[in-house]
Amino acid sequence: MLAYRQGDAGAFETLYARHKGPLYRFVLRSVRERGLAEELYQEIWMRVIEARGRYAVQARFTTWLYTIAHNRLADHWRRRGLTLVELQDHDAAAPPADEPESRAQGRQSLQRFAAALAALPEAQREAFLLHEESGLSVADIAAATGVGEQAAKSRVRYALAKLREAMADG
Amino acid sequence: MADPERDARVAERYRALGREQPAPELDAAILAASRRRPRRWAVPVSIAAVVVLAVGVTLRVQMEERKDAEDVALSPRVMQTPAPADEVARQSRRDSAPAPAPASPPAALESRAQAAPEAAAPPAEVSADRAEPAGRASAGVAVGKLSAPPQTPEQWLERIAKLRDAGKAREADESLAEFKRRYPDYRISEALRARIAPR
Repeated sequence: MLAYRQGDAGAFETLYARHKGPLYRFVLRSVRERGLAEELYQEIWMRVIEARGRYAVQARFTTWLYTIAHNRLADHWRRRGLTLVELQDHDAAAPPADEPESRAQGRQSLQRFAAALAALPEAQREAFLLHEESGLSVADIAAATGVGEQAAKSRVRYALAKLREAMADG
Repeated sequence: MADPERDARVAERYRALGREQPAPELDAAILAASRRRPRRWAVPVSIAAVVVLAVGVTLRVQMEERKDAEDVALSPRVMQTPAPADEVARQSRRDSAPAPAPASPPAALESRAQAAPEAAAPPAEVSADRAEPAGRASAGVAVGKLSAPPQTPEQWLERIAKLRDAGKAREADESLAEFKRRYPDYRISEALRARIAPR
């Protein structure tokens, strides 16, 4: 990011290539609406680009990036009144009639997992997604989301427990 | 060291949900935005424009005020000793009649000078060190303009010296003659005399 701040456009491309997938999935799984996810995703990167001149090495770039993402999503949830949205059709698509039973069971199991993830409280889902997608440590999650380390750890643990439960049901 | 907050089975199931990527058009839009140069000049240029505008307006207002003050100070009536009331009345009657008045000041300024003589510059006959200009701080500016009327005897003489320096002998002679008529008792220093004397 420092190289990009100095005018090295190639440095941004490297950063973008490294983080685009995880960040996109983080946003997509948070809002579960592709169009909205794309809009938020683009806005997050625009904020990164606009903030290049103010960037200072105070934390890992990943933590800084997900702090921006967290803030943007927090704005989004605030506007929506923290209501959860329904699963999209493509997440709960009906299995084809001629699908083998084992594959159908796997699909149903995955759908239960996706539903459990979607049903997590927003803070727990965010902590889990940050942990899985960005690879942030609990301390970094705490920094990115503006909570204490203990709270971040609890969120991850509660999320894992509920997801394990959903897997056990299958 | 294994992450105590990571569950391999949950992670595997999560990854099975899919590894979605942003659309190529989205990538292209973001990368294009990243290549645009930041508009660092926008804010400084805006500030500079405001400052230039403010300074320009202020200078303009000050110049207008100075010009008014100079016109009032150099109007023939104000250059004279304040007259008694009947003299003012006579003067007023004379003004109403058409008279050959070279370099007469604008009517508005003239009436201003008559209406409030106490607000105008002191009479020219007073000694040079008592003759406080309407705006002494601006003397340098006034002296610099050869075409502008002088405010004080010193400035007038300085202007004559500049005319000499510029090779405008005839204008310098005329101006010096006018000066002597206006300030017959003014003592010109030797140094200044050498600069304004015909060459």
